[in-house]
Amino acid sequence: MDPVYFIFLSSGLFLGWSLGANDAANIFGTAVGTKMVRFRTAAVIASLFIILGAVYAGAGTSRTLGELGTVNALPGAFMVALSAAAAVYWMIETGIPVSTSQSIVGAIIGWNLYSGKPTDYEVLGTIVSTWVICPVLSGILAVLIYLLVKLIMHKSRIHILRQDCYIRAGLIIIGAFGAYALGANNIANVMGVFVDSSPFPALNFGHDWHLNSTQVLFLIGALSISVGVFTYSRKVIDTIGNGLMSMSPAVAWIVVFAQSLVLFLFASQGLKNLLESSGLPSLPLVPVSSSQAVIGAVIGIGLAKGGRGVKWSVLGKIALGWITTPVISAILCFISLFFLENVFNQIVFEP
Amino acid sequence: MFHLKFSLFSQTKSLENKIDLFHDKLLDAGMTFKKAIRIYLAEQKSEEFKKASKQIKQIEHDADNLRRDIEQKLYTQNLIPDLRADVLHIVENLDKVINKFDEVTYQFFVEIPEIPADYHSRMIELCDLVSDCAENMAIASRSFFRDFSLVRDFSQKVYYMEHESDLVSGRLREAIFASELPLANKLQLSNVINEVADIGDIAEDFIDELLIFTIKRDI
Repeated sequence: MDPVYFIFLSSGLFLGWSLGANDAANIFGTAVGTKMVRFRTAAVIASLFIILGAVYAGAGTSRTLGELGTVNALPGAFMVALSAAAAVYWMIETGIPVSTSQSIVGAIIGWNLYSGKPTDYEVLGTIVSTWVICPVLSGILAVLIYLLVKLIMHKSRIHILRQDCYIRAGLIIIGAFGAYALGANNIANVMGVFVDSSPFPALNFGHDWHLNSTQVLFLIGALSISVGVFTYSRKVIDTIGNGLMSMSPAVAWIVVFAQSLVLFLFASQGLKNLLESSGLPSLPLVPVSSSQAVIGAVIGIGLAKGGRGVKWSVLGKIALGWITTPVISAILCFISLFFLENVFNQIVFEP
Repeated sequence: MFHLKFSLFSQTKSLENKIDLFHDKLLDAGMTFKKAIRIYLAEQKSEEFKKASKQIKQIEHDADNLRRDIEQKLYTQNLIPDLRADVLHIVENLDKVINKFDEVTYQFFVEIPEIPADYHSRMIELCDLVSDCAENMAIASRSFFRDFSLVRDFSQKVYYMEHESDLVSGRLREAIFASELPLANKLQLSNVINEVADIGDIAEDFIDELLIFTIKRDI
């Protein structure tokens, strides 16, 4: 395999690393911050389940991104991922709750514009609608879970120490589910644009177990997310926690549960098929923002508590992010592709 | 590697029992105090009173050991990290009331205050009120651990009884200072009444904090 491939893949790996560093805090931030779960335990569980989610359930969201724009040249894919990463970094600096998903969508549109390929506006509309649905759905789910947990806690008369044990176990179980959902939903952001140029051969482990070329690519992407979890998420947890507010472990559990459900709903092909076969409405398989799902859940719980202390300005910032992140990413990608093609003589798209 | 210890549940159970036992000690101390004061007023420093006084001392000693054990286990087993400071505060304040029961009984034992028969009924009323205050405080505190919707009900009882004990102690002191007793005797009785009424005050302060802890505990 050409080692140059890994140089081009590096932007995706960097995006994966930053996703792991930032988004692990959404899953295990409060659990580790309140010392309910050790960081090492959280990091091992998060890494393992991110890898499982990415490899076994990451295809659906990647397919949707592919429908938006099939980045068919490796240098082009490199620049799409790099532009998305740069836009994310820039937006973090401005304090807007940033989404890797929105950034990569903007970068793909930038590539479409540069290469002259058409953008499927129906797919784009579907993706953009999920940006709104994601925090709203997360908020609704969080309220429902919150009311249920509150009722159980009031009725069950479980001793405070016993509750602590249950919450501790719950944080680990839901954290694992959250990591799986994150891997399944967000691997498309990290590796989606490289799928078409993946040079990896399928791997066979024994008789029944094998990984196809895309799954091998996702495995590498998931490993980069895991490296981000291990090397930098501790720092993110220690400095900004989950980025929002200090939560009790019970509320943190509810927030992570709601967020994980949303990510899972937007990633699971199996669930989508099940809902459709039962005649129920299903959600499109689209990478969504875990940070914005968390914000939706926190605001939902805040409203259920009477609405005191809800920072409404955060909603304005999210809405601002819906527009600015993809626009910046698209412009950045367009300009960068021009330089990559004309200054570095790289083929950034196949006609 | 994985610190999800399944033995955590059995360790938790043992600590739950210790916390329950600690609350029992406060209830025991209150009831023994009631009994001791009645004996004192009837017989002064009799063998029976000495026995009751020793009983309270023993309860106080056992409660101290339990408190240390609970505090140590909460930290070494890293339990309820977000509420640990509140729980430690609760345990320490419950212990303060047990200590106060012991201190007051010991004061009676050492000073042997002369309490004229005219004041016995009001003295018993005062002691009953502060003991009931402590009893309701213990129940409110126990509810904090299991069913915090009840904390408010029992807290209200503590507030009511503390207010009543203030009124009774005030009237008792007024009556004593209006009497023909020697000044030294009046001052000694006034001091004893203050000490007894203090038990109610500590319970009231405790309840103020417990209500805040309860708000924090609610999700």
